[in-house]
Amino acid sequence: MPDIVSLSLNALTLMSILMLVALGLAIIYGLMGIINLSHGEFVTIGAYTLFTVQAAGGSFWLALIVAPAVGYLLGTVLEVTVIRRLYDRPISTILATWGLSLILQQAIILTYGAAPRPVTAPFEASVHLLGTTYPAYRLFLIVFAFAVMAGCVLAFRKTPFGLDVRAVIQNASMARVLGVNAERVYRRAFASGAALAALAGVLIAPLVAVTALMGVNYLARSFFVVLVGGAGSIPGVVAGSAFVGGLESLLSTTVPITVAQASVLILAVVIVRFRPQGLVPA
Amino acid sequence: MTQRDKTWLFITLAIMAALMTYPAFGSFSGVSGLRDILLFALFAVSLDLFWGRTGVLSFGHATFFGAGAYGMAIMTIHVAPGAAWGSVAGLAFGVGLAGVVALAVGYFVIFGGVRGAYFTIVTLALTLIAQQIAIGWSSITGGDAGLIGVPPLTIGIPITGKVLYYVVVAVLFGIVLTLWAGLRGQRGLVLKAIEDDERKAQTLGYNTSLHLLAVFVLSGLIAGLAGALYVTGTGFVAPDMIALLLSTEVIMWVAVGGRGSLIGAVAGTMIVWRLQQEVSTLSASAWPLFIGVFFLAMVFFFPDGLPAAAQKLWARWKRMNEGRAA
Repeated sequence: MPDIVSLSLNALTLMSILMLVALGLAIIYGLMGIINLSHGEFVTIGAYTLFTVQAAGGSFWLALIVAPAVGYLLGTVLEVTVIRRLYDRPISTILATWGLSLILQQAIILTYGAAPRPVTAPFEASVHLLGTTYPAYRLFLIVFAFAVMAGCVLAFRKTPFGLDVRAVIQNASMARVLGVNAERVYRRAFASGAALAALAGVLIAPLVAVTALMGVNYLARSFFVVLVGGAGSIPGVVAGSAFVGGLESLLSTTVPITVAQASVLILAVVIVRFRPQGLVPA
Repeated sequence: MTQRDKTWLFITLAIMAALMTYPAFGSFSGVSGLRDILLFALFAVSLDLFWGRTGVLSFGHATFFGAGAYGMAIMTIHVAPGAAWGSVAGLAFGVGLAGVVALAVGYFVIFGGVRGAYFTIVTLALTLIAQQIAIGWSSITGGDAGLIGVPPLTIGIPITGKVLYYVVVAVLFGIVLTLWAGLRGQRGLVLKAIEDDERKAQTLGYNTSLHLLAVFVLSGLIAGLAGALYVTGTGFVAPDMIALLLSTEVIMWVAVGGRGSLIGAVAGTMIVWRLQQEVSTLSASAWPLFIGVFFLAMVFFFPDGLPAAAQKLWARWKRMNEGRAA
């Protein structure tokens, strides 16, 4: 019983992070049909923001506010300077964002060095839960991530911006005719996705090694979340994250973590064959 | 034979002749260095066969190069150490492994209707999977350190030094010329039709998925051959031979040479390697930075590759001069 509890909590931790990272990817892909290979670097940027804030004497909570702002700002710059010019060339976007990803990685290495950087969680305590002890920070991470997701769902359903996003996903030219400024929707959605990835970076940083290359790990898994779940839909992201995160956590109890990750990705490719539109399409 | 074909043959044979005479005056290390580069060129040709001829970009071609490399290393080190037939079995196992992976993944992905950007992403993930297996399954693959002690290629007698170099040149140009000849006719036209508009080609009665799969598997086999031969020369295999960075470097080699011409991939690989030797001496970050800037520049300034951009510039320059003369 305690094993099952901590296993489910581990799965939920990974799922929470994947949800936040993949949501940006899924919305961007659903909206603009482009794939951002530098998305993982925003996770890295979030983690390094936490390091920088803590090194300057700031708290974890400050970083939790600063990182999304940094992500949003950088995302806007990226969208305006690069992505915007490539809307109708999806393959070119992949190549360009891959180039950007390499440049960002090296810029981080040149600034912070190649060695992992230390960051600390806001609290160290463990709590007793259903017969097992579990780090309180991980519980906070899960609750916080689900709260952010709920906020995104609300924003998607209830705000004018969310309405615009849904309209453009459904039919971009019709939305334009009805007066939606699609370019502005693209820019804001892209920047918001980057902000969410940076937020995920802050949350995951205390649990992993903070290095310049950490983003790649989350990029690949997030793509499989989108692939399995379906692009452009929040329920799809949740379903995909549950699939990838749950299966990986389950498998890694019996086989090495790399083999577990590989098996999950292979399974995801098989699913794509039979449900190319994803489990919960938009 | 059109004028274009003649020019292509002339350039190809000229490059081949130059490479054949190189060992006569090149140093030993120069010859083995060039041999490794030519095997990477063969790898680039395999990508150009798929990307250049069908327009579908694979972001994970190092998977097949690495499958060939690891297949050869595992067979000669673990399964048949010291056996006379080890290299031949390694060659068969490495190339076969690459082919089987290409067939399995290609079947699921291509027949699953995955195309365009999604195809690129799935193949990207394929490299990550392969790399994780190479690092994680350390009892077989040697993990991060890789495997050392791959014996030289032995087919009856050991093939090393200059002989191996000539074998590599012969294999490379044998494959380039065969592919070129094989794709001049209707088969090449069908691929061109798929690149232009797959649905139209389907409507005309072609099983486009089957065509794509066939080319993908052939491409994987060639990449596997390049990888398997490569490790017999260097004697070791490491995870960076199956990594994402190599998958993207090969895209750069093809783009520099211009995609679709096959021989362009060979030239592009040689040019970039020369450049890499210069740039890498600056700092460890210099080369990845260079690749990053290259991809950005390519997308914005020369989307069809460097030769096409040069041709465009040349045409504009000529027009300008003619305007001035008139």
